[in-house]
Amino acid sequence: MIPKIIGYLFKRAFMLLITVVAAIYITILVANMGGYVDEIIKSEIYLLVSQSIRQNPAYRMLNETQIMRLINEIYTLEIEKIGFDKPFVYRSFIYLKDAISLNLGRALFLYSDSGSKSVRIIILERLPNTVLLFTTTQLILFFIGLFFGLFLSRRYGSLPDKISVLLSPLSSLPGWFYGIFLILIFASLFRSWFGVGLPYGGMVDPPPPTDKLLYALEVLKHMILPISSWLVAYSFINIYVRRTFFLMFSSEDYVELAKAKGLPESLIQRRYILRPTLPPIITDFSLTLIGSWMGAIITERVFNWPGIGSLFYAASMIFDTPVLVGLVVIYAYLLAVTVFTLELVYAILDPRIRAGGA
Amino acid sequence: MNRRIELDALLTVFLILLFSSTFLANIPTAFAQEVPKGSWVDEIVLFVEQDEAKVIDMLLKNEIQAYFRDITDPELFKTVKASPDLWYAISYGLYFDLTFNPSGPEFLTGKLNPFSVPRIREAMNYLVDRKYICDEIMAGMAVPKYTTLTPAFPDYARYAEIVKLIEKEYSYNFDKAKEIITEEMIKLDAELKDGKWYYKGELVALIFIVRVEDQRRAIGDYIASQLEKVGFTVDRQYKTSREAAPIWIRSNPAEGLWHLYTGGWIVQLISRDESDNFGYFYTSRGRADPLWQAYKPSPEFDEVAGKLWNREFTTIEERDRLMREALRLSMEDSVRIWLVNQIAPWPARKEISLAYDLSGGFSSARLYPYTIRYVNRVGGTVKAATSDLMVEPVNPVAGSNWVYDHVYYDPLGDPSAIPDPFTGLYWPQRVEKAEVYVLEGLPVGVTLDWVSLKFVGSIDVPTDAWYDWDAEKQEIIYASPGTTAKTKTVIYYDENLFKMKYHDGSKLSLADFVFSYILTFDMAKPESPVYDEAYLPSFEAFREYFKGFRIISKDPLIIEYYSDMVYLDAEYIAADAANAFDPVYAYGPAPWHTITIGWLAEANNELAFSSSKAAKINIEQANYIAGPALNILKKYLDKAISEKFIPYKNVLGNYISEAEALERYNNLKRLYEAKGHFLVGNGPVYLEKVDSINRIVVLRANREFPDPADKWLKFSEPMIPEVKVTLEPTILRGLPSEASVSITFKGQPYKVSDIQSVKYIIMTPTEVLVGSAEPIRDGLWRIIMEPEKTILLSSGTISVDVIAVSKLVGMPSMTAGSTTVMSISESLAGEMAKIKTDYETKISGLRSELTTTINTLSSKIDSLSITVNMLMGISVVTLIIAIAAIVLPLLRKK
Repeated sequence: MIPKIIGYLFKRAFMLLITVVAAIYITILVANMGGYVDEIIKSEIYLLVSQSIRQNPAYRMLNETQIMRLINEIYTLEIEKIGFDKPFVYRSFIYLKDAISLNLGRALFLYSDSGSKSVRIIILERLPNTVLLFTTTQLILFFIGLFFGLFLSRRYGSLPDKISVLLSPLSSLPGWFYGIFLILIFASLFRSWFGVGLPYGGMVDPPPPTDKLLYALEVLKHMILPISSWLVAYSFINIYVRRTFFLMFSSEDYVELAKAKGLPESLIQRRYILRPTLPPIITDFSLTLIGSWMGAIITERVFNWPGIGSLFYAASMIFDTPVLVGLVVIYAYLLAVTVFTLELVYAILDPRIRAGGA
Repeated sequence: MNRRIELDALLTVFLILLFSSTFLANIPTAFAQEVPKGSWVDEIVLFVEQDEAKVIDMLLKNEIQAYFRDITDPELFKTVKASPDLWYAISYGLYFDLTFNPSGPEFLTGKLNPFSVPRIREAMNYLVDRKYICDEIMAGMAVPKYTTLTPAFPDYARYAEIVKLIEKEYSYNFDKAKEIITEEMIKLDAELKDGKWYYKGELVALIFIVRVEDQRRAIGDYIASQLEKVGFTVDRQYKTSREAAPIWIRSNPAEGLWHLYTGGWIVQLISRDESDNFGYFYTSRGRADPLWQAYKPSPEFDEVAGKLWNREFTTIEERDRLMREALRLSMEDSVRIWLVNQIAPWPARKEISLAYDLSGGFSSARLYPYTIRYVNRVGGTVKAATSDLMVEPVNPVAGSNWVYDHVYYDPLGDPSAIPDPFTGLYWPQRVEKAEVYVLEGLPVGVTLDWVSLKFVGSIDVPTDAWYDWDAEKQEIIYASPGTTAKTKTVIYYDENLFKMKYHDGSKLSLADFVFSYILTFDMAKPESPVYDEAYLPSFEAFREYFKGFRIISKDPLIIEYYSDMVYLDAEYIAADAANAFDPVYAYGPAPWHTITIGWLAEANNELAFSSSKAAKINIEQANYIAGPALNILKKYLDKAISEKFIPYKNVLGNYISEAEALERYNNLKRLYEAKGHFLVGNGPVYLEKVDSINRIVVLRANREFPDPADKWLKFSEPMIPEVKVTLEPTILRGLPSEASVSITFKGQPYKVSDIQSVKYIIMTPTEVLVGSAEPIRDGLWRIIMEPEKTILLSSGTISVDVIAVSKLVGMPSMTAGSTTVMSISESLAGEMAKIKTDYETKISGLRSELTTTINTLSSKIDSLSITVNMLMGISVVTLIIAIAAIVLPLLRKK
């Protein structure tokens, strides 16, 4: 029995590794547009170097040859600095090797908020902000979906159920869209009407409080609108999905039998509905949590939130391959580890997998 | 009952507090307050907000007081203009052009390139209606641009009359454009069939790369439609900067991957000398890229552009002649045509005032920290949003050069000379005076009185002047005999210079200057532990012109600076010398002890000042305000304290004692412990707090600063002259004529001494007259047009353009008036005709008056005759009655 599970897990781990490697290399190729980005970046660097030299009064008296020499020397240094003196194919495998070994290396252009070029620091400085906002949001959404879904599945066709179904199309618009309206109402209009309002964005109001407690309260205040925007957008669809999910399970034969046996409602919910639905819920929960760590590009920009989403955007805009690869690597590894862990849990819990039926 | 009393009492107290707070809040504005030292305000808070709409809303709600970035959305600009609470500054740093591919007439593909023909390129000037672009596409946020000169910069003012001529000559004229293009296309063997141009049986399709990030998308569409109207087929390729760059810059123009491109250029400093623009934008000298190498200007233009590029002129007059030629020839060449100069508005609340730069707005104005203030009160906090902060690591030696970082680290320093935000000329800040000696025959002038300029036959660098640095022996190298220079500058620093204190309490000293001198050379020496090859190119450029440095007096500090660097303005030469080794580096302020801890970290390969060196040896770049570098800097500060470290001790040991070094390090340590950073200067504000995660920077007033806050007050607003011209109603050809020009600023007369020139231009179909006005008194100038000038004018209505150039603002002010020109005979004929008309009018008046009188008389006579007739009738009746009365008694008696 155990060798079977080990064999199964080994196979899964191997497949996951291949998937991760392929995903990373594809990311490297896409982020560099197959090497075309080299041309773009070289053109830009040349343009910047020659412009900066031309506009520098210190070089006004240099003659034509001296200026050209200066431009070419600085350009060469800049190209060497970012490693673009080596061909793209060579660099692409260096990127891959570093990524797989989790040596995320140095960014091409971006710096961390504190001024470091280390991709690890760049990502780690942003990750807590994203976790704080989006993981919190996803947790709230998850539990809202879980509890209200369960609650409404037992009250199928009731008024709250109808209202919930009616409001579920709110999710057809993304959270950031509601965010803009929330900013307009609670930050702008409230200030016009009452002289006070919620923050326009950011994590704290400038100047930042020096007291840690006040700082934390400031951050909480700044989380209200972004979280609300996502709650407005996604709460009802979450409730609707969960409620439908539970409804399906509520009509299983064994649940009907339990009801017929006259078991208490809470027991039926806990033992006959929640327990068998736990694996997909946990899977969903795990993947949602990991997904939340990637942030949300537009929401972060709308609320000026310094998270992973805006980092991803900034890196994409300037073709900073190491940062893009770093973000993908971390996500891919987290995903692979989570999937593997779930496989492990299922293998232990699910008799079908245990028997090698998978 | 008691509760009611309590409530009443509470309400009373509340109302009293409310009224008293309102009253107290108003007190400060009612009384003049003492001018503080350092900045006017207590605190400047900078933070990042990229959403313009949010920023404007925050400004309107007084959540922030200024935006350190220009607005690009015309709708938001309208909101700013409409708001009674906001004002805005204007800068002219960004401009758009239409770049042509000059290769051809055929590409390697055999396709035709019409833009290989200069006349067709020149005709594009007529085809594009710049006013339409400004008004309709840019929604008023731009001014037309015809030449390479920027409207707010001194060269534009200097050559305003020729620029005006060009603007009139090349104004929108679709028919003329079509005529020229048709003529030239036929010469190229192209055929126009059904309104479309064909070449060798194929449509002439122009590949137009249109940038999409800004208004250039709409501009591109407009130009494409104009080209289609004259028969071209246009393939519009919309691309971002990144997508377009490899095509238009790096591809071989002969491959024909593109025909034209909507270019954009930016300048962030007022340039006082734009003479090299012609070499840069129109000849292969500009850049090594394939496009530039394809530029083939006419030999005449190439020669002129080359002379300007290499400064091959010896007098200002010669430069003027070359510039005028270049302006004219550049229009004929038109390898690129200029479209618009963007007007970039920088909004702020009306309660605050601050200096701004005519090129770079609020954030580039070196004087902004000295001038930012609440108009009616002293102190307070100004919150300003910007679109980015802390873009790259900050260190004074080779840190971030982003304008978003300059905006908070520049105010921490106090340079010896400061650029004028409106003219670009330098003013002294820590300098009493400067003497500039220049070789005879070099084109240098002087405007401000803190600099005296003298021309000399030769300049020998004395052998005790410092010339270089020996990194191995740790010695200064002196100038060798026979070393000469083109300029020598003597700088007399402020006598209180060494009484100034840094923000950590350390006193500024001569060691800061000497350290700066040594470091300038040491970083370029391979033997040095802080050698950086990335520094070499800029050092070599410096080495080309630096000839010597000599300390004449230690306190008060007087130095001599020898250089081959020649600028048109002596103020620039003086500022170059004064700022050369003062402790305000290119990337921030730097007393020797703060640099030393970074120096130690770099020497031990733990940090590097430059990003290149950091990348090369895979270490962190020195960041003095945040991040992992702080701990390393802290480590080396402790090391410096424990070792009482004196850098370059062999030399600096003569200027720094161990006790002083220790005191400085301890001061720095205290500052780091209190504020969490190592960025120390001696400017009007100090760095109070950095929140790198949230990108917030807090600057606080440095009340230990020696100068009162009102020192630079006059630069709060550019004194752009307001000009009005009053012309005589008629100018008689061959006779003198006069016009008066009023020049004011906010209704007050503009001082004659502050005016550089007042010129007038008269353009008629046959003649263009240019002349100067002469001052009568402050605010009033007079234009005298001599008979020999008026005789050249043709009869009819003429427009007289007047251009006033102030010494205080780089931007010229213009106005226009119109009058009528006629010859003497025409005038006499006119006068005769006038007299005739006059008499005819008078006669006609008399005639009608007479007629009226006659009519009146006749009517009166008529009425009189009626009366007479009546009277006669009555008399007859009376007579008959009388006769009857006599006769009847007689008859009765009978």
